[in-house]
Amino acid sequence: MLFISNFVLELFNIKNMKRYWIIFLVVALVVVSTAFLFFSSGFEPSKTDYVHFGIIGFLVAAAAFIAIKKMKNMRRGEPQEDELSKKLMQKASSLSYFVSLYIWVVILYLKDRVSMDTEELIGSGILAMGVVWVISMAFYYFRGIRNE
Amino acid sequence: MNNRIKEFRARIGITQEELAKMVNVRRETIVFLEKNKYNPSLKLAHDLATVFSTTIEELFVFEK
Repeated sequence: MLFISNFVLELFNIKNMKRYWIIFLVVALVVVSTAFLFFSSGFEPSKTDYVHFGIIGFLVAAAAFIAIKKMKNMRRGEPQEDELSKKLMQKASSLSYFVSLYIWVVILYLKDRVSMDTEELIGSGILAMGVVWVISMAFYYFRGIRNE
Repeated sequence: MNNRIKEFRARIGITQEELAKMVNVRRETIVFLEKNKYNPSLKLAHDLATVFSTTIEELFVFEK
C-alpha cells in the first residue's frame, strides 16, 4: 500500500516538475549519446553522418532555446505555457505532420535510387521531421495567428 | 480584428510585463496582441477588458 502511495506521489511530482528541466534532460541525453557515438572506437563518420550531426546540433540548439525561454518566463513569475504558446505548438505540429507525410513519400521514392543504408535513410527522415517542426514554429512565430 | 490594448495600457500606465501577470499570460502574448498578430480567446479578452475596466467591444475593434 505504501509502495502504491509513494508511486502515485512520484507521478504527481513528475507532472508538476518544471517543464524546462525535462527539455534540458532530453537535450543532455541527445548530446551525450551523439558524443558517445562520435567518439566510440571504430566509428568512421561519412559525409552523411556529418550532415546528421549538424542537424542534431541545430535541433539541440532549438530545444535549448525553448527551454531557456520557459525558464526565463518562470523566473519572471509568468506561466511557462499559455494559450498563445499552446496554439503555436498545435499549429506548428499539425503543419509539420502534414509536411512530414510528403518527406516520407520522397524517402520511399529515393530508397532504391540512392546509395544510403536503410538506417541512414530512416535517420534522415526523422531528423528532417525535427527540422520541419522547428521551421513551422518559426513560421507561425513570425507570421502570427490571426482569424483562423 | 484590431485592438486598443496598447492605448488602454498606456492610459493606466502599466508595462506589458505587469499586464501579462494580471491576466496570467506570458509577456510575449501581450506583445503579439499589441502587434495584432494574435486573436485572444474569449476568456483572455474578458480578463483584459476587466483589467482596463471596459467592455470587449471597446477594447477590440471588429471589422466587417
